[in-house]
Amino acid sequence: MEILTGFLNAIMGIYKSSGLSTLGWQNYVMIAISCALLYLAIKKQYEPLLLLPIAFGMLLVNLYPGIMAAPDITLVQIATKDDPAAVGHVVRTIGDTIYYEDPHYGGLLYYLYQGVKLGIYPPLIFLGIGCMTDFGPLIANPKSLILGAAAQIGIFVTFTGAIFLGFTASEAGAIGIIGGADGPTAIYVTTKLAPHLLGSIAIAAYSYMALVPIIQPPIMKALTTKKERAVVMEQLRPVSKLEKILFPIIVVILIAIFLPDAAPLVGMLMLGNLFKESGVVDRIAKAAQNELMNIITIFLGVTVGATASGTNFLKLDTLKIIALGLIAFCMGTAFGILFGKIMYKLTGGKINPLIGSAGVSAVPMAARVSQKVGQQENPGNFLLMHAMGPNVAGVIGSAVAAGVLLNVVG
Amino acid sequence: MSIHGISAIQAAAESMTMGERGIESAKVILTGFVVVFSVLFLLIGIIKLYSAIVSKLQSGGESRKKKDAAQKKKVVSVSRTVAAPEPQAEDGIPEEVVAVIAAAVMSLYAGASKPRIKSIKKAGGSRSAWANAGVIDNTRPF
Repeated sequence: MEILTGFLNAIMGIYKSSGLSTLGWQNYVMIAISCALLYLAIKKQYEPLLLLPIAFGMLLVNLYPGIMAAPDITLVQIATKDDPAAVGHVVRTIGDTIYYEDPHYGGLLYYLYQGVKLGIYPPLIFLGIGCMTDFGPLIANPKSLILGAAAQIGIFVTFTGAIFLGFTASEAGAIGIIGGADGPTAIYVTTKLAPHLLGSIAIAAYSYMALVPIIQPPIMKALTTKKERAVVMEQLRPVSKLEKILFPIIVVILIAIFLPDAAPLVGMLMLGNLFKESGVVDRIAKAAQNELMNIITIFLGVTVGATASGTNFLKLDTLKIIALGLIAFCMGTAFGILFGKIMYKLTGGKINPLIGSAGVSAVPMAARVSQKVGQQENPGNFLLMHAMGPNVAGVIGSAVAAGVLLNVVG
Repeated sequence: MSIHGISAIQAAAESMTMGERGIESAKVILTGFVVVFSVLFLLIGIIKLYSAIVSKLQSGGESRKKKDAAQKKKVVSVSRTVAAPEPQAEDGIPEEVVAVIAAAVMSLYAGASKPRIKSIKKAGGSRSAWANAGVIDNTRPF
């Protein structure tokens, strides 16, 4: 009988600590959502490099919430300082009572999440992006920066929408940055302004970035004429190595002086680019764009996904964020195109307005969309390199916009 | 009002009326618009300026090199007149391919100098299949 009772108690203990008794309905909904995201990442290949770890982090935290639990300490009362139970523990005396500290370590993802919380991972991702980015098209045609700036207007317009929907200024700033279509920037700003919204904002940002080829073309076609879309642009001038080496140094000096809040992102982006363009630190450049970037991508994706626990994510605010994120993205695309049209008029038809949509960052997907839509009108038209100018300008522009938001509402 | 002053919005956000929300968000839009465009316009000016300086420096260096080369050529042409040698094309490379390579080189360097092709060799095996796949992946249109 005693054996049977012991057995039943053990089974009850296992049941009580298992997910079957501890998980709520929200967790099960989130498990279903994460499985749907895994399907999109694996089968549809929507931004799989980030969506897959994000979805898996979401799955893990909803199966086992303790994986994101913060460390804590339990004080256990003892009679004397020499109590054998206190051996190896810190002993404290509060009043007349003696306690020993029984530490409970945090979950695995809690520790990895500190890189997100402290704003370490996004700038390191920017370091790798800098190593992979060629600013040549932007240096050859600096006017591209206007398009990169125009596409950021969506961020500030969405800020207004979020304020009117009842979000605080910090939350509105974090939601607006989705319009920059730049994942690391969105995560960086959100961790500083509204960390409790990180899961929903990161998922919205990466989902829309994956959906660029679906979201942008209808807006591009609606805002341009057939004649404008068929414009063939002049070949860009070759850019010398010296110009490419000077570019990151000049940009970082300028932006760090005028907008110090953008310095961590822009600084790392430009450091990576200098690694690449200088040609003297090939080993470091390769490490930054391969090993380092891949490792950080894993940590960033899994831990950002792990912030989307059922109770945090399943709120009306998440739906509002997803809707506002889409508006931000569409507005960014539209303003880029509209400024492209202005430049088309001012240059006497030499600029194809389609390259304006690439100003929303999302490198290189947005530039590829400009190329694709342009080729639909004129199969002999190659806009890819022209669109890369506004595309990389958008990366700088969204980092500058992030700096403005951190300064204004941070 | 200083930029930092606008952060007062956050504290007051929940108690603000619709009109106040409109005014405060207009301030953020205006600040964002002006700062982002100012920084990027400044960047345009600086890029143009340093590009002009760099190209001037480099064209100065190039013209000096050209001068030196022209002087050397003169000395050589006094002693003998030599016809430009035919490009040494490796066996198995058709004439059409040689013509296409010559045309591509001319279109790339046209105006800057008179390029001369000395030899044409098959690259064969210098790039692995994986590297080729990477190049194709990165250069194909969307």
